[in-house]
This record gives sequence, structure tokens and C-alpha cells, in this order.
Amino acid sequence: MPSWKRMPSLREVQASFIDALLGSDTAPAAALVDGDGLPPRARLEIYRHHAIDSLTAALQAAYPVVARLVGDGFFRYAAHEFIRAEPPAGPCLFEYGEGFPGFLATFPPGRSLEYLPDVARLEWKLNAAAHADDFVPVDLGRLLGLDPDDAERVTFQLDPSLSLLASPWPIDAIWHANQPEVDPDRTVDLDAGAVHLEIRRVDDNPAFRRLAPPTFAFRRILLTGFPLSDALRAAHAEDHAFDVTDALRALFEENVLGGFRLSPETKASAS
Amino acid sequence: MLAAAVGIGLRSVHVADVIATRPAVAWLEVHAENYMASGGPTLAALGRIRESYPVAIHAVGLSLGSADPLDARHLRRLRALVERIQPALVSDHLSWSSLGGRYVNHLLPLPYTDEALHLVCDHVAQAQNALGRRLLVENPSSYLRFRESPIPEPDFLADVVRRTGCGLLCDVNNVYVSACNLGLDPVAYLDALPVDAIEEFHLAGHSVNDADGVPVLIDDHGARVAPEVWALFAQVLARSGPRPTLIEWDANIPELSVLVDEARRADAVMEAHAVAP
Repeated sequence: MPSWKRMPSLREVQASFIDALLGSDTAPAAALVDGDGLPPRARLEIYRHHAIDSLTAALQAAYPVVARLVGDGFFRYAAHEFIRAEPPAGPCLFEYGEGFPGFLATFPPGRSLEYLPDVARLEWKLNAAAHADDFVPVDLGRLLGLDPDDAERVTFQLDPSLSLLASPWPIDAIWHANQPEVDPDRTVDLDAGAVHLEIRRVDDNPAFRRLAPPTFAFRRILLTGFPLSDALRAAHAEDHAFDVTDALRALFEENVLGGFRLSPETKASAS
Repeated sequence: MLAAAVGIGLRSVHVADVIATRPAVAWLEVHAENYMASGGPTLAALGRIRESYPVAIHAVGLSLGSADPLDARHLRRLRALVERIQPALVSDHLSWSSLGGRYVNHLLPLPYTDEALHLVCDHVAQAQNALGRRLLVENPSSYLRFRESPIPEPDFLADVVRRTGCGLLCDVNNVYVSACNLGLDPVAYLDALPVDAIEEFHLAGHSVNDADGVPVLIDDHGARVAPEVWALFAQVLARSGPRPTLIEWDANIPELSVLVDEARRADAVMEAHAVAP
């Protein structure tokens, strides 16, 4: 057993303790612990077990569909490796796990499930939508004041819970087929083609739906903060007949618009 | 000021039930970190509940014992929640959970040294300044002690109280769990606490695990309060008088009615044993 040559500082004690919980070297921490009738490692193991267990539960809560797709043993293994590689940066666990989809994409045992990272991305966006800021949609009078000639310099603020996700896999069907009440033998046609999804909180519930590719392109550019004219160009690249009036009316009727801003000359905002 | 009566820890599975049925408990306690989003239905539900019940905010994330500085962003978010909810009490733990940007989601033990005492006192004082109110500090449940830990835990807590003016949240189950795991006398522990500083009690169940053939009590909040813990609660009440008391349940969470039933039992114990001040 290694020993400390002098009494370690509190920082050194805590660094060795965290290494014992998240790393693999328990010896320096064990040397600091009074066994009291048990091997010090067994006492450290109680803390390690509960730390990993509670963080695994947090990931399971954020990624229930991934957990059902891969099974409990695989999920626990993946979660364990992820937690050690990317432990939480802070104590709000509803914010923990954003990196899990990217981790799954590079996790060798998961490579055969090519759609898994995109399913995980969908689950994270649903989780983020649940906790996004509240917002007040723009009123129609304000929107009617918008001059069509301002397309080059108008940008929109959208519902902060809204996000977009495109995937070559039918991840919406995979998600629906892996809800708790659904027959586990239900199958999904993985060759059904690409999907373009919009994720939002509607009436307090995170939800998603498919968008047509031109609408997806239009909203993606607006969401990024570029002007209306750029969004229109992106939509027209998908569909020459894409209609800006219809597109703006849809944003309004769906209560997606939080406001707009004219730049650079004028700083107007509806919000 | 919270009445010296019994409340229950509000968990997400019971929120809709509490809003719909308004169970007859004196107050509710929530975990701060579950309500730190800047919007959304979870926070809105807490606002609705606050209209009907006194609420206490119990934090797990300040990491008061960490060798790192307090997390300024987390402290700001806690302050924002406190301003929004106007809780009757705000508490966190005598423990640490993070170092160097790694947060391990567990209340980790401190070596009780002079260095740790100074640091904890600084952090408690900073938190109280930032929040503009008194903080309660909870005794942890322990599964180990450090070789170099010369100050007994109740003395350490008494020093923190004396130097910072904070209050104590005495978790009676934690006292029992730590005492069993570390071979201490729980009655002597409670006798050594500055009883006047106790502003809140916690009660919860624990489980018994096997570690290398030795029974270890795990503070999992997954069962009814154990008989030994009820007995300790009755004993400490005789010294402290009645205090706000909370039933906590975090694993194998049962129907809301079971928590309400456990709260009634705590009420009866308080009625029978607490000497009014």
C-alpha cells in the first residue's frame, strides 16, 4: 500500500478520493481511510457504487429509449464508461448527459446500431425542450408591421424550446416503437428513409413531428439567427415553389415566433 | 418561520398528486437542483404548490466542503430560486461533491481537521451572504472516516454553528447510519450537538447491505423510518423541543399516502416527547 510522505492537504485528499470514484487508482485514497474492521477499499467502493449508480439513473431518465433499445446490461456498461470519461460539471442533473449521443457514436460495442446516436440526440432534445425558457409568442399586429422589403435584414427569435434534427434513419418511428407500453416485438423498417424533425415543448409537453425538407431548411436557417432572405434561399434550394407568406403564417399560427429584429440600421424587437 | 410540525419531501412522481389532492401535511421540502431550469412546467408546478404550502429548499450541490471555491453560478441559481419561492428554510450538507470541475453526485465525507473547519466556515459564510439568509447545515451519513480526522463530527458542526451563525439540520437517520457504520454511540453524538441550533429534523429509512461479510447501513431513503431511529428522534426531541420535521423518501418511492402516514407518526412522536420550549 502506498503511503503519503506527509499529511496531505484537503485538496490532495479530495483529488485522490475523486480518482478513486471515477478513475481506477484507489490506492492513494485507501491509504487515507481508517478501515474500522473493513478493508478501506470496501468503504470507498460504497461511495463509488452509489455515485455511479445515481448518475446512471440520471442518464436512464434522459435516455429511456436508448436504454430499452440496448438492454440494461449494455446501457449500464456504456453509462459507466461515459460517466468516467465525462462526469457532470455541475449539480443540476437535468443538464447532465448532453455528450452521451456523441459518446455512443464512438463507443465500439455500439457500432452495429448505427441509428443509436441519432435516437439519443432526439431524446436529449426532448429533455432540453422540457427545461427550456418560457416565452411569449409575438402578437399579430407587431408582425404585420414587418416590411417585405426588409427580408435581407430581419432575423427572428423562435420558441427557445424549439430545435431541429435530421437523420438518415427513421428515428421517430424507432422512438414510438420503444415506448414503455408498446409491444417489444414491434418492428421498424430501417430503410424507411431520412427524417427531418422539429422538437418543441407544446402545452407543457416535449414533442416532435416531421417537417417537409424545405420547411426544415427554412426554419434551420432562421433558428441559427440568419436573416429571412438566407432562410428563403435555403428553402428554395429544396423547393422552387416554397412560399414565404405561407411559411411565415405557419410560424405565427404555430406560436413559434417570439419576436423579430431588424439589423443593422434599426434595433426593433417585438419581444 | 416554519411551524414545528411535520412535512414531507416532495418528489417529482408525487407533484401532480399533491396539486390534485392537497394532502394534510404541514409543509413540503424540495431539492433545489431539480428546480434550477429557467423555465418550463416543473418550475411552474412548484410555484403552484407554493401557493398552498410552506416550502423548504434543500440543496445538495453547494459542495460546502470542497477545496475549490464555491461554484458562483450555482450559488446565483440557488439565490434566484430562493427569491422566486421564498422558502421557509434553506439547507445543504456538511460534505463535498466536486473538485476541478468534476461533480460526482454524492455527499462525500470530509476529514475533520482545522483546515476543513476553516474552509467550511468560509463557504457557509459566503453562501449565507449570497443568499441573504441563514443556511442550515445537515450532518452527513458516513461509510468511512479518515485516519487523520481529529475533530469529532458533532464538535465540528458546533464550531461551524458558532463561527458562522448557521443553523443545523439534524438528520436522525444519518446519525444512526453513521454511528452503526463507524462504531459510534448515536446518543452521545446527539448529546454533543448544540441542540439550540437545530432548526429542522430529517427522518428517513435505510437499508442494510453486506460489505465483505460486514453489515453496512446504506442511507438510501428507501423504506419506512427504522424503530431505532424513532427512538433516537424521541430522545433528541426531549432536549430540543418541537422542531420542523421532514419525512424523506427517495428510492422505491411509495404512494403519497404512505409518506403522509409516516408524517402522522412523526407528529405523534413529537406530540408525545417534545418538551415545549
